Amino acid sequence: MKRRLLIAGLLAAGALDAQWLHYPTPGLPRLADGKANLKAPAPRAADGKPDFSGLWLQEHDRPCPPGGCADFQASEQFYDMGYGMPGGLPYQPWAAEIVKKRTASNGLNDPDTLCVPHGIIKAHTVDLLRKMIQVPGLLAILNERNASYRQIFTDGRALPADMLPTWNGYSTGRWEGDTLVVRTEGFRDGMWLDRNGTPMSDAAKITEKFRRPNFGTLEVEVTVDDPKVFTKPWATTLRQTLQPDTELLDYICLENEKDIPHLFDKK
Amino acid sequence: MRRLTTFLFLAGSLSAPLLAQWPTRPDEKAPRTADGKINLAGPAPKLADGKIDLSGIWQVDDNHLQFNMMADGPQVALTPAAEAIYKMRLAGAAKDRPSGKCMPHGIPDAMIVPSPFKFLHTSGLTLILYEEFVDFRQIFTDGRALPKAPEPAWFGYSVGRWAGDSFVIETSGFNDKSWLDDDGHPHSEALKTTERFRRSDYRHMTMEITIDDPKSYARPWGATFRFHLLPDTEFIEYVCDNEQDQKHMVGQ
Repeated sequence: MKRRLLIAGLLAAGALDAQWLHYPTPGLPRLADGKANLKAPAPRAADGKPDFSGLWLQEHDRPCPPGGCADFQASEQFYDMGYGMPGGLPYQPWAAEIVKKRTASNGLNDPDTLCVPHGIIKAHTVDLLRKMIQVPGLLAILNERNASYRQIFTDGRALPADMLPTWNGYSTGRWEGDTLVVRTEGFRDGMWLDRNGTPMSDAAKITEKFRRPNFGTLEVEVTVDDPKVFTKPWATTLRQTLQPDTELLDYICLENEKDIPHLFDKK
Repeated sequence: MRRLTTFLFLAGSLSAPLLAQWPTRPDEKAPRTADGKINLAGPAPKLADGKIDLSGIWQVDDNHLQFNMMADGPQVALTPAAEAIYKMRLAGAAKDRPSGKCMPHGIPDAMIVPSPFKFLHTSGLTLILYEEFVDFRQIFTDGRALPKAPEPAWFGYSVGRWAGDSFVIETSGFNDKSWLDDDGHPHSEALKTTERFRRSDYRHMTMEITIDDPKSYARPWGATFRFHLLPDTEFIEYVCDNEQDQKHMVGQ
C-alpha cells in the first residue's frame, strides 16, 4: 500500500515518467498479452545453479481490516514469526514475558521504528523491496530501506574465527542441489525478529535455505537456533514474490524523521 | 586511514580486530609473481568481454581533495546563490554535513572519504557498495537512458558504459541536499556528473569527475581522484547508529 501511495504521489506530481519504475525487467518471460509469466521456470546462472537475481517482496498474506490496509501491507510474519506454528515460538520464560510487553507497546522500541538496521530476517518480512544480485562468489541483497545491503559469500570461505558483533552478521552460502544454504552468525545482541518484539541474542545462529521454485517465487526457509531466547531451534518459511518491471526507490529512514519523539507506550 | 578506522574499532571494543576479519580468499584474477604473491603492478584484469574490470575494494589515496575538491584547480566561480550556501557551510564548520546526521554522502563525496568501497559488475548493472553507512549505488549498464524528470535522490540516477579504456558513469536526478565534498561545495537538483574511471594496473584506479551544474557554478569543472586496491580484506560493518556527536556541534 505504501508503494502504491508513493506511486500515486508521483503521479500527482507528474513525475511518473521520471522513475525507472516501469522499465521492463530484462529476461522476464512473458505471456501473449505481455504480462509477466511468473509460473515460468526459474532462470539459471552460467554455472547451472538457480539465479535468485531479481526484485522481491514478502507475500502479502495478512488480510486487510474492514477499513482497508494500513500504510504498510505487512505479512503475518512481520508481526509474529511464529504465525501458523502450533503453540507459537518456543520462548524461554523471560523472552515470553518481554514479547508480551513489547507487543503491548506496539513496536515503540522496535529497531525498525528507530531507523537502525532491522536485521537479516526482518528484511524478508518488511513491506519494502529487496533486489538480489547473484554473481560468482557473492549474493548481494540490496534493501530499499535505508539503501543498505547485505553480502552473502558463496566462494567457499569459512566464517571468521572470531566475529565483531554486527547487525547483519557474517553470512556464507553453499549449494545443496538447487537450494542455497546460507549460515549466518556473529550478530550483535538485542535485535528483534518481528514487530511483536521476539528477541534475538548474540548467540543466534541462523540458517536460510533459498529456493526459487518458479520464476515468480522465492522461498526462504529460516531456521533460528538461539538457545538464550528459545527452548529449541525452530523454522518457518518466508515466501517472496517477484516484482516485475519496477525498481527500488530512494528510502532513507532517518531523513526528515518526525515520528519518534511522539511515540509513547499505551498504558 | 583504514588503519585508523581499525584502531578506533580496537579502542572501542578492546578486541583484536584481525580475528574478526574474513579468512582471505585468493583472487583468481590477480596477477602473481613467481612466489605466488599478488603482483600489484601487474595488468588490470578484464571482464569476459574484454572490457576493463573494476571489481574489488578501493580506497582513495589521500585526503587532499576530501574537504575542498576544487583545491587542485581550476577555481570556478560559484553563482551568488551557491556562494551564499557555501559560505554558510564553511562558517558552520560542517555542523550540518549530511553524514553527521547519518545521511548518505552523495557523489563524489562517498568515494573521496577514507572509507573503502567495492565495485561489482553483473549483466546490465554495476554496483558500488560503500563500507560507510552500508550504502549502495546502482549504475545501469543495460543501455537505458537517464530518466527525464526523476524523483530527486541522494545518489541520483546513474547509467554507465565502457568507452575504450574507461568506464563512464553519467548521473542526474540528485536531490540538492548532498555535499560534493566535506567542506560543503553545494549543488542544485540540476547537477549532472560524469565520472570516468580508469584502471592503469591491478593496484591503481583514477576517477575524473565533471561537475555540471549551471545553477551553482559559472561553468563545468572537475577534479581527478586516485584510488588503490585493498586486496585480501573485506568491509567492517559501519552502521551510523549510536550517533552522539551531532548535539554537541555548534559551528563557529
